[in-house]
Amino acid sequence: MNSSPVDASASDASSMPQKRFSNLRSVRWRIDLGVLPSSPPASIDDIRRVTADTRRRYANLRRRLLIDHHSPKYGKASPDLTVDNPLSQNPDSTWGRFFSYAELGKMIDQDLSRLYPEHSGYFHTPICQALLRRILLLWCLQHPEYGYRQGMHELLAPLVYVLHFDLDHLTQVQKLYEDFFSDEFDKISFPEGDFLSSHRIRRVKNWESGIEIENNLHKITNDHSRDELDPDTREMLLLSDSYGAEGELGVILSERFMEHDAYFMFENLMFGDQGVVSMASFFSPVAGSNSNLPPVIEASSALYYLLSIVDSSLHSHLVELEVEPQYFALRWLRVLFGREFCLDDLLVIWDELFYSSNSRYLDNDVEFNFEVLCSPRGAFIAALAVSMLLYVRSLLLATETATTCLQRLLSFPQNPDMKKLIEQAKSLQVLALESNILSSSCQTYSNKNQLTICRGYSLPSASALPKTSLNVIADRYWEEQWRVLHKDEELRKQSNGHLSSSGIMKKILTKRLSFSRTNSEPFEGNNAHALSSVRRRLFDDSSEVIEAAKDHVKSECNESPVISNNLNVGKGFPEELADQRTSNCMVEETFLSGHNALVVSTPTSPHDIGNDHENESEKSSITSNSFLGDNDEETISMEESCSQNKQDEESTNMEEPCCQNLDKQLAQDAEATSSGDVDSIPEQIAAPKDQKPFAGKFQWLWRFGRGSKEENQESKRSQNAGHIQKDGFDISQCDGTYASCGINKRIEVGDKKVMDTIRNLGQSMLEHIQVRYSYLSLVSICLSFHLIS
Amino acid sequence: MVLVLAIGDLHIPHRAPDLPAKFKSMLVPGKIQHILCTGNLCIKEVHDYLKSLSPDLHITRGEYDEDVRYPENKTLSIGQFKLGLCHGHQIVPWGDLDSLAMLQRQLDIDILVTGHTHQFKAYKHEGGVIINPGSATGAYSSITYDANPSFVLMDIDGLRVVVYVYELIDGEVKVDKIDFKKTATTQSAH
Repeated sequence: MNSSPVDASASDASSMPQKRFSNLRSVRWRIDLGVLPSSPPASIDDIRRVTADTRRRYANLRRRLLIDHHSPKYGKASPDLTVDNPLSQNPDSTWGRFFSYAELGKMIDQDLSRLYPEHSGYFHTPICQALLRRILLLWCLQHPEYGYRQGMHELLAPLVYVLHFDLDHLTQVQKLYEDFFSDEFDKISFPEGDFLSSHRIRRVKNWESGIEIENNLHKITNDHSRDELDPDTREMLLLSDSYGAEGELGVILSERFMEHDAYFMFENLMFGDQGVVSMASFFSPVAGSNSNLPPVIEASSALYYLLSIVDSSLHSHLVELEVEPQYFALRWLRVLFGREFCLDDLLVIWDELFYSSNSRYLDNDVEFNFEVLCSPRGAFIAALAVSMLLYVRSLLLATETATTCLQRLLSFPQNPDMKKLIEQAKSLQVLALESNILSSSCQTYSNKNQLTICRGYSLPSASALPKTSLNVIADRYWEEQWRVLHKDEELRKQSNGHLSSSGIMKKILTKRLSFSRTNSEPFEGNNAHALSSVRRRLFDDSSEVIEAAKDHVKSECNESPVISNNLNVGKGFPEELADQRTSNCMVEETFLSGHNALVVSTPTSPHDIGNDHENESEKSSITSNSFLGDNDEETISMEESCSQNKQDEESTNMEEPCCQNLDKQLAQDAEATSSGDVDSIPEQIAAPKDQKPFAGKFQWLWRFGRGSKEENQESKRSQNAGHIQKDGFDISQCDGTYASCGINKRIEVGDKKVMDTIRNLGQSMLEHIQVRYSYLSLVSICLSFHLIS
Repeated sequence: MVLVLAIGDLHIPHRAPDLPAKFKSMLVPGKIQHILCTGNLCIKEVHDYLKSLSPDLHITRGEYDEDVRYPENKTLSIGQFKLGLCHGHQIVPWGDLDSLAMLQRQLDIDILVTGHTHQFKAYKHEGGVIINPGSATGAYSSITYDANPSFVLMDIDGLRVVVYVYELIDGEVKVDKIDFKKTATTQSAH
């Protein structure tokens, strides 16, 4: 086969905007998994050579490991029978190996017999079973430290299936284009109407006539008719050509070497091709290198973490029910969702999954939250899991006990809308990747607090983020705010005019704050709990509060359409939105209502604060820490509340009043939904003022918007978010004391503090509703001020 | 890859308290598919122990066995081979090859396993194999002096059987191996 047609087709393929070999899943997957070279200029020849190499390796492996203990050993004259007898306990004896193979084989057989019963026509044929068994056996023997675990067969089965599927496809194409695929070199010598040729009898190649003649004939037939073929078929032709590079061994879609190919696909999948996500680690109970947890547990936590960023109400609900992520995520992750979807859907998912690269995208010195999220593939896995959770969100929220919740999780609905799921997963994937980076801006903060990270990561001591400039701005800004706030309160009247500009401000701020999280310190346990519970309670009573707030507002500021807009928005939330919105509203309201509206985003009931500390601490820590520009409104709100608190307590003990306010607030509220930002607030208050409250606040604002995103339409949300953010911003600005509310949550507030905070929050809400307006005005002023500056 | 254990003449508890420890450590459940026991266990406990090694246990009656329900002879088929089992005290003279060969022809089997002499013997005879696993405990015998504990493990694989002999000599387990191949049709010797 001359190389020019090869190059032509290859370049055709690579010039296509879509993925190469997109109609040949097995080739596509082999490229994605790293079995075949993926660099775009890889010609078909290169691919064939690599294929041939891998197949040789597999053949060697097989010869080496599948021993026959009966056959006379080469060079071993008389085996030492005391070692080599069947009953020998000696691990070196071949019999010992035989027995261990037999045991492995038995385990594998057990699993294989239960594989894909609905596709038993293919998977339960003796050939296929033997193939799967051999591959699994060899892999386990090659990697004895992992052994065979249930689930590995389910990872292998789809790989074999796509290989088989492509072979079927190839045979069909071959039938369709018989002329091009056949080997009839001497067809030329037969007249058209010849009986023999019309039956396309395969001729034995005449080697003496010279290979080049055959090649020429082959080429001729191909060349002048090649143009008739579409690129895909042309490609198939090249892939399956027995005369290309490496001959038969290089035929990429080959039935004979299906086992070899499947083995390497499996191996690369299991080991992630030196990437981040290696499925084998999911099967092992050994703790990962970065954390003290086994990788699959860590991945499950990553899943929950992402969920908490995206939809904290669902997250807190699940945590409240004490549904640990690994209860369901273990199955999801270990077989890459193989049990949740039917085979065809699964293939679509795996297409996307393998397409995401597995290489670590972070530099070595950047601290990260979760190992699994360090690569796009891992992030996609987490994102898909979260999108699945969101898909059954309403079902899950309706459950009352952990068992029903798990039941619903483990029986994912049949025929879900795959497109929607995958689209959502893709968008969440980006989010996951970003949220994984631990901000180093909290470094100074961390030095002052003894925050211990729940997961045992050390506090980031890495280089500072590039946001330092923003920090500087923030400090100055907040100081100004503080001054402005304390000046006079009549400015509130003027706020109306300014409020409209706040939306613009928000946008600008959003843009500026679109860096990755600034503060990512996970919380100490207790704080989070309290906060989340607080949040939740706030949420539940949001409507009440909003009403109250509204009344206040209306009473005080009649002609503040903007404000009432906000309020309306806020009010609209509980009506239109689900919990999240409401909570956001609530948060906002609390902010508006008063300084200690820590829990802004966390309507929580005081009585619940004491409970679930454990569960929620993580949650809140997650939320509070994950300050992405457009994540976690809760944190923003938390910050805001911090700032609120700060403002109140300017004097010495900020925490107390905040706590008290919160408590009061909570006293009024019923349940909480979102994470425990409340906890962070006192902490933040205590924190040194040189944090980045500014940035934090924006993140808070964003979180607001984001929190409700999941539940309501984008437009609505964005609009609301805009309002919320604006308000939040206002509030935070009003605080003036900013800094402590810095994102660097080193919150170590104990339960008591949280209680206090919550109490304070409640109090403040009640007492300081009027302040809201002044705040609003102040904020707007500040915003415009800032805008100008 | 079928492993068949041939064992017998333990004479527990009359002449020996138990199997040698080294033998016991080697005989673990799970590896052996069939057990052919020539007899003279003598008590039920030994029967239970052997049953724990493998579910497929065949015993013939020895003269000192306390369970009288064991048969005199037994034949079974494993893989391509037909095996026969008998204690051997019925065949006089005891341990005589020709007499045992008569029994083999009578039962029409390829492999005959007998005991009673407390001495390991393995003959290739007339296209078949006659095996005496000896006494697993090395119990006293009036016809054999200084019997060593021994037993036999057969590995039946298609048309080939590999006989591993385990003997306890001076406290050490010695293993020996003999290969037999069954000729498909004829009864030619060896």
